[in-house]
This record gives sequence, structure tokens and C-alpha cells, in this order.
Amino acid sequence: MLTRGTLTYIGQRLVLIAFTVLAVSSIVFLGIHRLPGDALFSERLRGQAYQLLLHHYGLDQPLLVQYQRFLGAMLHGDLGESLVNRGVKITPLVIRELSVSAEVGVVALFFTIVIGIILGTIAAMRQNSWLDYLLSSVSVVGYSMPNFVIASFLILFFAIWLGNVTGGSFQYELNWDGTYGTPGEIWLPAFALGFPYASFVARLTRASMLEVIRQDYIRTARAKGLTEQIVIIRHALRNSLIPVITILGPLVIGIITGGVVIENIFNIPGLGKEFAQSILSRDYNVVIGVFTMYAAMVGVANLLVDLAYTVIDPRIRY
Amino acid sequence: MATASATPADRFDAVPARAQVSLWSDAWRRLRRNRLAAVSAFYLAFVFAVAIISLVWTPYSTSHLGVVTPYGGPSGAHPLGGDQYGRDILSRLMEGARTSMTVGVGTQIVVLAVGITVGLLAGYFRGWFDTVVTLVINIFYGIPDLLVALILVFLIGQGSLGTIIFAIAVTRWMDMARLVRGQTLSIREREFVEAAKASGAKPRKIIFGHILPNALGPIIVQATIGVPSAILFEAFMSFLGLGIQPPTASWGSMAADGVNAIRISPHIVLAPSLALMITLMAFNFLGDGLRDALDPRQRR
Repeated sequence: MLTRGTLTYIGQRLVLIAFTVLAVSSIVFLGIHRLPGDALFSERLRGQAYQLLLHHYGLDQPLLVQYQRFLGAMLHGDLGESLVNRGVKITPLVIRELSVSAEVGVVALFFTIVIGIILGTIAAMRQNSWLDYLLSSVSVVGYSMPNFVIASFLILFFAIWLGNVTGGSFQYELNWDGTYGTPGEIWLPAFALGFPYASFVARLTRASMLEVIRQDYIRTARAKGLTEQIVIIRHALRNSLIPVITILGPLVIGIITGGVVIENIFNIPGLGKEFAQSILSRDYNVVIGVFTMYAAMVGVANLLVDLAYTVIDPRIRY
Repeated sequence: MATASATPADRFDAVPARAQVSLWSDAWRRLRRNRLAAVSAFYLAFVFAVAIISLVWTPYSTSHLGVVTPYGGPSGAHPLGGDQYGRDILSRLMEGARTSMTVGVGTQIVVLAVGITVGLLAGYFRGWFDTVVTLVINIFYGIPDLLVALILVFLIGQGSLGTIIFAIAVTRWMDMARLVRGQTLSIREREFVEAAKASGAKPRKIIFGHILPNALGPIIVQATIGVPSAILFEAFMSFLGLGIQPPTASWGSMAADGVNAIRISPHIVLAPSLALMITLMAFNFLGDGLRDALDPRQRR
């Protein structure tokens, strides 16, 4: 699978990602630093203490020198120090948060694809039955629902109503204890994150499945006496997944951005929560760091999606 | 049965001629027949009306604290209850409708202006401008739009309505530009454009007199679908506390308040969430209905 051509392609893309990340962080850096230096601190400081603080963060230098330092540090993987929590290094912080977000995102993506494909296939198999209409209406509702609305409904049901009804024996615990989520903690936020896109995948799968099962090779498969299950799973499903693959890119980006909202609702210590928090607390250095991480994450996710195409559909080559 | 004198032409004349209708009245007829789309249009008209009424009248003040018992549930005087500061939720829901509709429609006006201009120019003149536009559109498709909108609001300074409309429009214009460019590319090759060119029409006349009117159907559908996505963006931003700033009500920030109080009084989160959900659904149904009505060949 990893031919020389593929490796060159990956190499080129990685260089492109590096440039994008650098460009994005530069834009945000310069955008923020056109503000005067003292706008960068929330407390009002005067005199020597203030000068020392400015000097500590290099904010007493001309903008060009600041930018040079920023670029130099970034090339060494150093995103600087938090303005609010003094002494906290941003690089290890955002890398840890990135891994938390990735954990939730991957589970959500799994839910999206598996649920979407199963529901879409069922709807296509029972075309024009009440089940088909039910699933189709659910999917319209699903993708019209903002994920925070889904999340609130799920919390009301699983964390509050279910707890009241069963006296607390079956209840989703809203508190996310450690840095990473346990299976018992992660399923609900991941479901809320993935559900709108699952409805979308279901619609696509249904449409393409209906097209595929009318083709000749499916008739051949049936004619040679294969069971319906094998016809659907081994022959029809594969080809009906091609349109689904094409939306994988937007899907992944949707899950990454949706994560910002979901992490804030479920109190998940990921990149999305930090993004909102750092903007609200005006911790400019962290904002730059988080946004840089997002640019890298989106670049790598897009690359992985493109590579996944070649695995699923061998006709695509780079 | 048929008389001997009946020629094919006579038989053709015998079929009652369909009354001449324009494309638009034909589409209007199809749209009214689509019950889901008609109900959605009716509901959206109602939301618009509420948004306008909220300019001059709401049952209670939208920003005064303690009008209701804080966290108070629905009652006769306050059908939707009060929020954590004791503000009347129904009044704030009405103001939230105004916020949503302003952002949704405002964004689409900017998107229409930019997208149509860029798309027409790129599609008609092609050349280097088209190359640049296509490149920029592709770059925009690869970046997470919500995050860019958030960072833009942050860089400009916190959210007034204008800032938010601008930030969302920056991340949303390319759908429209791509659509108009594609339409222009195909329409400019048609015979009536050729004829107009041959009769000496200037590019401006061809673009606005021939190409744009023929691309209006898809543009209207795209604009209708664009409104809920802008409303959703504003709700997300306000939900995170980075959009519309208090005391102005937004369904997103109201829902955020409600999530914090979800254990004690779930009614605070339910009202704005349901309003948002139903409105977005109505726009989606109307968009689907418009697409079926304006382009009957392209049934899903």
C-alpha cells in the first residue's frame, strides 16, 4: 500500500500542513499584537512590576522583534507561556488537550459512521415502509438539531430523568473525573457530537444503497443463491459506501468544530474547552497556541481522510 | 369515433391548452402544494412577525432582573417561566427571534452580494481572476468555519450584531460564489447568450440581463438553505459566550444559561432549544420545497 508515490505525496502534504500552520498562527499573532501591550494583561499594573512583566513576555520589544522570536520559538515547538496562569508552558498543555479532544472525536466518528450506515441500510431495505419513514424523519430532525440541543436532551434523559426513575442506579454521571474519559463517561458526549452527522450519513447511505441494489451484479449475486444478508453486506454495502467516503472530510471537520461546544457542555478538558476559555479570559498566548493546534489537527485529519480513500477504494491513487 | 377529416394537427388542437404560466407562478403553485414547505413558510412568517413585534412590544422587559422569581417555572402570568436572573423567558425568546432572524437574513444579504458578484465575474470572464477565486474557495473549504468565525469576532473585538454577521459571512460566502460561478459557466455557453453577444450586447447587459436571471432559481434555494446555517453559527457562538453579548437575548446564550441550571429548572434550556430546533427545521423543509418547486427535474 505504501508505494513510493504515496510516501512522496504524504511528504508533500506534511510540508503544506507545516506552512499552513505557520501562516495561520502568524495571522492570529499579528492580529492580536496590533493591540497595545497592556491590553494583554487583565490586571492593572503600574511601575516597575508592570515593566518587568512586559519584559518577561517580551512585550516591550518592537513588533517585528516579537514576531521573529515567536517564529523562532515555534520552529522549536515552543508556543510560549500562558498570560493568565504564569509559568504554565503552552505546548505540553495544548498537546494533552488535543489528545483528549481526539479521543472524543474518534469515538464520535465511529458512532457517526456505524449508526449512519446501519440506519441507512435498514431504511433502504425496507423502502417506503413505516420504518423507512420513521428513520427518514428522525434524520431530518437529527441534522436540524444543534448539538447542544441534542446534548441537553440527552443530559435531561440520561443524567436526570433516568436517575430519578431508577433511584440513581442507572444514571449517567455528568462529571468527567480524570483527564481522559472512561467508556462509561465518553459515550454520551460522543453520541451527542456524532448524531447530527449520523443522520446525514444515513440519508446518503439510503440513497446510494437504493441505487446499488438495482444493479445487475446484485441480481447476479441473488440469482446464484446467496442469502440476502450476504448480498447486502458483502456486495451492495461496499459500493454504496463510496458517496459516504466523499463526505468524510467535511464530516471530520464538523466533528472537530462541534467538539468545541460539546466539550464545554460536558466539561471535558480538551482543546475546545480551552479555546472558549482562553478567549473569555483573554489569555492571548493560549488563544494563539490553541488555534495553531487546531490548524495542525485539521491538516492532519484531512490528510488521513485522503489516505483512507485509497484504502477503501483502491481505484484512487496518489 | 374520429371523423375522417381529423388530421394530427386537429387532434393536437383538441387538447385543451394549458394556460400560459411563467416559471415563477408555476413554481409558486408547486410550492403551495408541498404541505410541509407551506407549513414551514407559515411558521417562519410567524417568527418574523414575532421578531418585528419584539422591537416595540414584549410582555415584560427583556433585560430587567427579577420580573419573575429566579428559576421560576411556567405560570399563568409567565407562560415559559423565568431564567436564573428572574427575567421573563417568553419576552427573551421574542428578542432572541429578532437576533436570529437579523443574523440569518443579514448574513445572507452579505453572502448574496459577495457571492453573486464574485461568482458572476469569475464564471463570465474566467482567466486569472477565476483561478484565484477557485483557489481561495478551496482553501476556505479546508478550514473549520466555526473556529474562524470565532477568532474573527475575537480579533475585531466582542460581538455586536454587525461583527457577528461579518464574521459568519466571511466563512459562508464561498458556497454561493461556487454555485453562481458554476451556473454562469454553463449559462454563458447557451445559444441565447451567443445571440445576445452576436447582436452586440455589452458584457454588463449579458451578465445582468441574461445570465443572472437564469441563475436565480438555484440562488434562491442556496440563500434559503444558508439562513439556517447562519442562525446555527450565531447560536453556537452565543452558546460559548463569544457571540451576542448580554443583555441582548440570543437563543444560543439562553440555552447556555439553561444548561448550567439544567438540574434545577430544565424549562430554561427547553424553550430556546425547541425554538431553535423548529426554526432550523422549518428553513430546511422550505429550502427542500423551494428546490423541488424551482427545479422539478432535480427531484431527490
